[in-house]
Amino acid sequence: MKHSIKRKNYDKIRVMNQAIKINNLKYNYDSEQTLFHDFNLEIESGQWVALVGHNGSGKSTLAKLILGLIESESGEISVFGEKLSIDTVHHVREQIGMVFQNPDNQFVGATVADDVAFGLENKQLPSSDMPQVIDEALTIVGMQDFKDREPHMLSGGQKQRVALASVLALQPKIIILDEATAMLDPDGRATIMKTLQNLKLKFGSELTLITITHDMDEAILADRVVVINDGQLILDGEPSDVFSQYDILRQNGLELPFVVELEAQLKPQPDGYLNERELIQWLSHLKK
Amino acid sequence: MAITFEKVNFSYGAGTTLARSILHDVTLQIATGQVTAIVGQTGSGKSTLIQHINGLLKPTSGRIIIDDFQLTASTKEKILVQLRKNVGIVFQFPENQLFANTVLEDVMYAPLNFGATKAEAKLAAEQALKRVGVSSELWYRSPFELSGGQMRRVAMAGALSSNPNVVIMDEPAAGLDPKGQAELLNLVQELKALGKTVVFISHQMDHVIAVADQVIVMQNGHVVAQESPKKLFNRDLSWFETMKLDLPKAGQLAEKLRKNGVFLSRRPLTLIELADLINKEVDHE
Repeated sequence: MKHSIKRKNYDKIRVMNQAIKINNLKYNYDSEQTLFHDFNLEIESGQWVALVGHNGSGKSTLAKLILGLIESESGEISVFGEKLSIDTVHHVREQIGMVFQNPDNQFVGATVADDVAFGLENKQLPSSDMPQVIDEALTIVGMQDFKDREPHMLSGGQKQRVALASVLALQPKIIILDEATAMLDPDGRATIMKTLQNLKLKFGSELTLITITHDMDEAILADRVVVINDGQLILDGEPSDVFSQYDILRQNGLELPFVVELEAQLKPQPDGYLNERELIQWLSHLKK
Repeated sequence: MAITFEKVNFSYGAGTTLARSILHDVTLQIATGQVTAIVGQTGSGKSTLIQHINGLLKPTSGRIIIDDFQLTASTKEKILVQLRKNVGIVFQFPENQLFANTVLEDVMYAPLNFGATKAEAKLAAEQALKRVGVSSELWYRSPFELSGGQMRRVAMAGALSSNPNVVIMDEPAAGLDPKGQAELLNLVQELKALGKTVVFISHQMDHVIAVADQVIVMQNGHVVAQESPKKLFNRDLSWFETMKLDLPKAGQLAEKLRKNGVFLSRRPLTLIELADLINKEVDHE
């Protein structure tokens, strides 16, 4: 008896450590097109997972399924052990912050600050607390000087940073960024990636990050890279393992990181995959 | 169609207390049949600049000459239709410019609007959709059911279907996967081969070096450089730091190598150049 109680607790802890569990998921675009068929994926709490795949591979659809924005045919999605259903969908969404590719569709406020406030009002945060929360969130994304501006007057990159601030203000346990950096300039993109790295350092296992991307230079920053195509899980592992599968990545319409492409052109060639820092070291030793 | 900007200034809310000045004394030339890339930090005025080329925005002062069309603050809205027929534009977020019930109807809109018959418009739309690689299975679907990359292509077909002489694209590669990006660069080259003038905004210097004949660099609403990519990317490193612009990836890696004692004889701008230079350098030792 004792043993079984222990066992039960262990299972409970394990389930609680699972931010997202997807079990035998089935989803069809319409009666003719199947996207996911028996799809399985587990994401541990506190992990940073890069979900990569070409346009139309099913990445964004998966995010929408997790949020309950669209419904699967069959299978289960659980968020922190809570099974997604009509009854639980609101509670599940409270724990997930989502930044979409197109920031224009997620603006509601007349000013940048109002926009961040919108989610807080829905959450019924006392209005006296709001200015501080809003300032903090905007400071993290470097948009504090824009708080009285009209969102529609901002450039694409600035809008996206405000969208991230609106999500951060709600302190979700999971943040999903759906190609959120695709429209940013190199500087803006670096700021967002740096912000995500800081968030991971700050919140550690308290924050689960899912970045949907096809930019391998972004994927390399994650703890884990999951490659999907046509609703199938193609590769799953640490960045260095995934990037050494050149042929599979190419077959799935993905690019190799620049350094990997370069390594293929070099004579002599290094033994196996080197990241940028390792390649530079290798070349400087070769010269000596 | 040659395009000339002469001392163009533009402010949002000009004449009001809320006026915000975006473009300052912009003077530039874009030659007919060339590919021009516009680069610069977010907020530098790139999108505002290109919206003047088809008269979506009119200059607060100065003028723009597009072939024989002159656009100034006082240009009447009515005559802009002539200009828009000749200048196709693809915006940054293509979803915003899709509206019809089917992909085909969406792409037919421009030619119909400019006076084509239904049959002519359909033919033009089909040609444009094929050119940008939207397969015929999708033509009768709603454009809103498509993926981001497919929407981009449909929006692009919409801009091409009236057979404009000038094609303007605001960050056309953003959000496209690597294969889509390669196809886009091919499309740009194809449009150039057809004699069209192409202007595109980009943050990807590797795309600029791959297809552009000329680069215009914007900073805080000013044009700070207008020259060939080769000349531009051989400027001093400090200039790129000031402008917060990247070198092409090959140039970036060469700079990192230099800091680690591996000196190349010149600055490579493509992967192949970089590989050749490294191989030569290693060979010598």
